[in-house]
Amino acid sequence: MEERRTAPFNTGMPDAVLKCVLPYLDGPRDRASISLVCRRWYELDSASRKHITIAFCYTTTADRLGRRFPAVESLKVKGKPRAAMYDLIPDDWGGYVRPWVQEVAANLDRLRWLHFRRMIVRDSDLEVLARSRGGVLRALKLDKCSGFSTDGLFHIGSMCRELRTLCLEESSIVELDGQWLHEIAMNNSILETLNFYRTDLVQVSFEDLERIARNCCNLTSVKISNCEILDLVGFFRAAAVLEEFCGGSFNNEQSDRYNAVTFPPKLCRLGLGSHRMPSVFPFASLLNKLDLLYALLDTEDHCLLIQRCPNLEILETRTVIGDRGLEVLAQSCKKLKRLRIERGSGNVSVSHRGLTVLAQGCLALEYLAVYVSDITNASLESIGTYSKNLCDFRLALLDREETITDFPLDNGVRALLRGCEKLRRLALYLRPGVLTDVGLGYIGRYSPNVRWMFLGYVGSSDTGLFEFSKGCPSLQKLEMMGCCFSERALAHAALQLPSLRYLWVQGYQTSSQSSDDLLAMARPCRNIELIPARRVITTDQVEEAVVLEHPAQILAYCSLAGPRTDFPETVISLDPVL
Amino acid sequence: MSKDSVELDFFGMEKKNSSKSQIQKFLDRRRSFRDLQGAISKMNPELIKSVITSGLANPPSQDQIESNKAASLPSSPKETQSLFPALPILTPAARAASENGPETAPLTIFFNGTVSVFNVPRDKAENILKLAVEGISKNVESMDSKVATPSSDQQQQILETLDGDLPIARRKSLQRFLEKRKERLTCASPYSYGC
Repeated sequence: MEERRTAPFNTGMPDAVLKCVLPYLDGPRDRASISLVCRRWYELDSASRKHITIAFCYTTTADRLGRRFPAVESLKVKGKPRAAMYDLIPDDWGGYVRPWVQEVAANLDRLRWLHFRRMIVRDSDLEVLARSRGGVLRALKLDKCSGFSTDGLFHIGSMCRELRTLCLEESSIVELDGQWLHEIAMNNSILETLNFYRTDLVQVSFEDLERIARNCCNLTSVKISNCEILDLVGFFRAAAVLEEFCGGSFNNEQSDRYNAVTFPPKLCRLGLGSHRMPSVFPFASLLNKLDLLYALLDTEDHCLLIQRCPNLEILETRTVIGDRGLEVLAQSCKKLKRLRIERGSGNVSVSHRGLTVLAQGCLALEYLAVYVSDITNASLESIGTYSKNLCDFRLALLDREETITDFPLDNGVRALLRGCEKLRRLALYLRPGVLTDVGLGYIGRYSPNVRWMFLGYVGSSDTGLFEFSKGCPSLQKLEMMGCCFSERALAHAALQLPSLRYLWVQGYQTSSQSSDDLLAMARPCRNIELIPARRVITTDQVEEAVVLEHPAQILAYCSLAGPRTDFPETVISLDPVL
Repeated sequence: MSKDSVELDFFGMEKKNSSKSQIQKFLDRRRSFRDLQGAISKMNPELIKSVITSGLANPPSQDQIESNKAASLPSSPKETQSLFPALPILTPAARAASENGPETAPLTIFFNGTVSVFNVPRDKAENILKLAVEGISKNVESMDSKVATPSSDQQQQILETLDGDLPIARRKSLQRFLEKRKERLTCASPYSYGC
């Protein structure tokens, strides 16, 4: 019969049915698979995709985004390489939000949530955004961004009255006044999240904060810069449903005045920059997130506090916690999911002793990032044995000790990788000799699901990289520092790794044939950029000149947009055509 | 990939290395190699040219002269780097000749992505290095006029940073916090900080 002669994919699945099903599928991988089935499904996905993350802003262009996903409601775009957080990338490197803001303003009518990470934002961009989408924008996150001032924020404050979330965390903002916050205080009554933590904005007035707390009955998360805590008594009283608070400073000499400060009753996520933890003790058992990065606690204080927090799920602190603090954590915080231990500046350190105890005690651990002064194979094996939920593991070996107890760590790393089957992200920053070529080969062989890796000072020759690149089937993004590998080996690895779409390398053996070796990895739709070795002279705290040597960097990435057109002087594009 | 260049142990580090651990030796070797590379990479190209040619202009041994003559007739002139048009590049034959005389040794210079190998006696090589270090201080002074410190201090500072440990960078935000705290500590704080 003639009616049966329809294409198999279209039979029995009218668009109406698919449109009902699609909203339930919002994971990016599922959506990517759907869009590959056939043209019709591609079109339906395009018309209905709600969220897009552009993992690296130069992989595509803003107008391609607008053409393919005109109905997008939530957009996240990331710019500078991660190394920018460690001051390794020139400030003017790139990652401008302008083209994205212009696309949002012109075509993306449904856009409600916007998140820029490590990008350069100008006041004019904020003004364009506020004028075009101010009436509907519900969330704006300028996360580790730079290039704008409080004048740009003023436009946001005055025109974006539907804003539920404003996040400026760790951005470099030129502060001209505190009017931007005043605008928010006067115009907004639905704010839920306000975050200018780790910024240098100090001209904000506590009265505006208090006004916001009074007007916005859903205010649940406030993270500020350095505002005197004693001035916030009224704010805390007004913010009745506040669950998260970070920031503030304790500058008053009369310490007992701080006893009068009462925190809101539902507060369960806290970050304080002080040694005044006793004032936290009464509700410590409610805490599920604690940020002690800027707190002035010693090891003993850590122990006293942590043992009162049985519900703690997220902890960020510095190495001052020590192995003893990790023991207390292992005993008291059985629900711990995320632990980040940043490098402090004192003598106390964290080592394999603490890590072993931690792994045995905190079985729910999903994320562990730690700077250690010493590490052993046995402790890595313990992590492999006990931390079965670990998805993200980052270990950096400090250079304070001349030798470490137990090296090479090849077997320990292998045991960890084989044990932690859910591992998706891995960082190992070691030193020469600690992970041999064999160990690097193990990483290749035993990390089937790892999508991102950061490797520092691993391996001892190109052989290690050859072995590594035979494996890592899921590796999409690779960052390396302090490599002993040649350009030829790097190019080979870039071609071998099947999923690799982004490669960043700093410190490698430059070849004598000036980048010809690197060009071996050149392909259509792949950009290769170099930042040659730089010398940066800055002044330190005591006004002395400090000379910083930055080794050369390579950045190679897949792109549909062709080479960049907005290079600063410090960046060179390797174009095989030239 | 094999390293076919020879390092000259100007800083006498080989003597100290015997008692050190494997890792420390590795670190030291890499450090001195990097130092050399780093020091010479800062040199003015004209300076390099003039120093090398003057060094080679006074050969102490007959072997040296012969090897120079052999090398100064390059078989393929196009291969010489444009930066050193008048300088001989050692051919393998010339290098074999140098093994007769212990007074000279190959000096490898990595500059701007190019590699050049020269046969120089030890004292000339040391002169070159001294000039390299002076060259750095000159370059630094001309780079930033705001930096008003005497050249010898600058030189010392640069040598110190070249000699630095594995650079473990700290997150900017945390670095700023720790620096500010160091300032506050020096301003007579009433509290004692454990770390």
